[in-house]
Amino acid sequence: MSSNDPLKLIEQYLERVRVYLPLDSEDAIVELQTHLIEEAQRIGEGTMTAGSAMMAIERMGDPKSVANEYAGSGKKVGPVPAEYVNPLSRIIILLLGVGAAFTVGLSLIGATLTQLFGADIQNWPFSIPLMVFLNLFIIIVIIGGISFLDRDKPLTEKTTLESIFGIGVDGFKPKGRWDAAGDFIMGVILGVIIGIPSIVILYTDAFKALYIYVVIFLFLGAIRGALFYFGGENNFNLAVEALLSVVWIAMAVVLINVGWPIQSIYLTISPTPEIVPLEGFLTEHGIPFVPFDWIWAFIMFVTVVIAVWRVIVASMKITMYLRAGKRLWWQGNWGERRTLRTPLWRRILGEHDQFQKETVRHDGYMEPEESQ
Amino acid sequence: MSKKTEEELDRWSKEVKRGAVTLAILALLSKRRAYGYEAVKLLGEKMSFLALEQGTVYPLLRRLEQRELLKSEWDYEDPTKPKKYYAVTEEGHMALGAMVKDWSILSREMREVVLEVE
Repeated sequence: MSSNDPLKLIEQYLERVRVYLPLDSEDAIVELQTHLIEEAQRIGEGTMTAGSAMMAIERMGDPKSVANEYAGSGKKVGPVPAEYVNPLSRIIILLLGVGAAFTVGLSLIGATLTQLFGADIQNWPFSIPLMVFLNLFIIIVIIGGISFLDRDKPLTEKTTLESIFGIGVDGFKPKGRWDAAGDFIMGVILGVIIGIPSIVILYTDAFKALYIYVVIFLFLGAIRGALFYFGGENNFNLAVEALLSVVWIAMAVVLINVGWPIQSIYLTISPTPEIVPLEGFLTEHGIPFVPFDWIWAFIMFVTVVIAVWRVIVASMKITMYLRAGKRLWWQGNWGERRTLRTPLWRRILGEHDQFQKETVRHDGYMEPEESQ
Repeated sequence: MSKKTEEELDRWSKEVKRGAVTLAILALLSKRRAYGYEAVKLLGEKMSFLALEQGTVYPLLRRLEQRELLKSEWDYEDPTKPKKYYAVTEEGHMALGAMVKDWSILSREMREVVLEVE
């Protein structure tokens, strides 16, 4: 449903434009956002209303064309129209990346895809052209059908097709500044906790021999968080992220064979805490045995999938930035959208948003919801 | 005006505009820096013949920046409306000088030829 909030309308429209833009287009989005706000204010003679925002959006035009003009790609690739090249490439990269990440993760824990899905390909390789033809036919029918259903949607509302094309947009966004701060804080806290001597004595002998590497890795992760917090996304930080992810994949190969790392736990029933073996404690208290090695394998699997995904995205982005003429370090962006609202501290000081909502009635009469 | 003449005029004016728009943008931005929306409005006011829309101006600003004829700088003073200011680079000034020279010769010669027709 369309909103009555002019800022929301602009944001919704820009979300549609974003779907068709290449990955490194945050600047373009902000530039278009400023253009729309200023144009809406001009139309509203100094005040932005839902009506004036809608008129500014309509003047800017169809999101596909805007993105295509702005990105300036404008080239067809095979049967794919120019406007759809960016979102389709993003989906393909996403699928390949997720596929690669899961394959590496699964092979690490010793499972194969054939075990999972019981793959049984018959009439190989003659089944390939038939399957390609059938899938293309199904895709055309589905796209045609949903495009037909979306034909009356307003400019600010995402079509079903765009919602599908938008899949993965978040996966490629730069790391948020607060996420980076979180990486730093968690890296330091976990690194310190894992290295505390009274915690170390709880580990299995095999993990005791390795825990120091995990601590070093966590501190390196904290440094990576700090780098992203201050420098945003740039080639240096992406290279650090890719390198650390590769190191983690290598470490995970060893750690998965070490198995569940905690051998004992502290019992605090008596005034002085005593150390008891974990497995013995569970059996003694009739707690069904928990498959700790499987939990460990699952944790390793998830972290390796994330690490592989990070390597893929970082390598892709570094190539993209190098092609755009960027070097190793610059003040990069963070994943958070720049807010359209006046910041809270300014509002506390009495500065208000210079925008207002209004209700547009069917007879054309406009009723402001709040006065300036 | 016949349909054929209209089509010819349309085609011709598109070709003229294509060549003139880079010069117009560089000339306007050489006097003072401007952000996207400002540049669109400025070009709209001063160059009505070119009838430039934001769909033409923004990609062109971007291309000129990639070709290092323009440089840009973000201004976040108003966080609700961050502005990307464009200014002409050293290289851009040199290119503009050369373009202006050629344009002057072209317009003088064109004027002479067109006056003969009139």
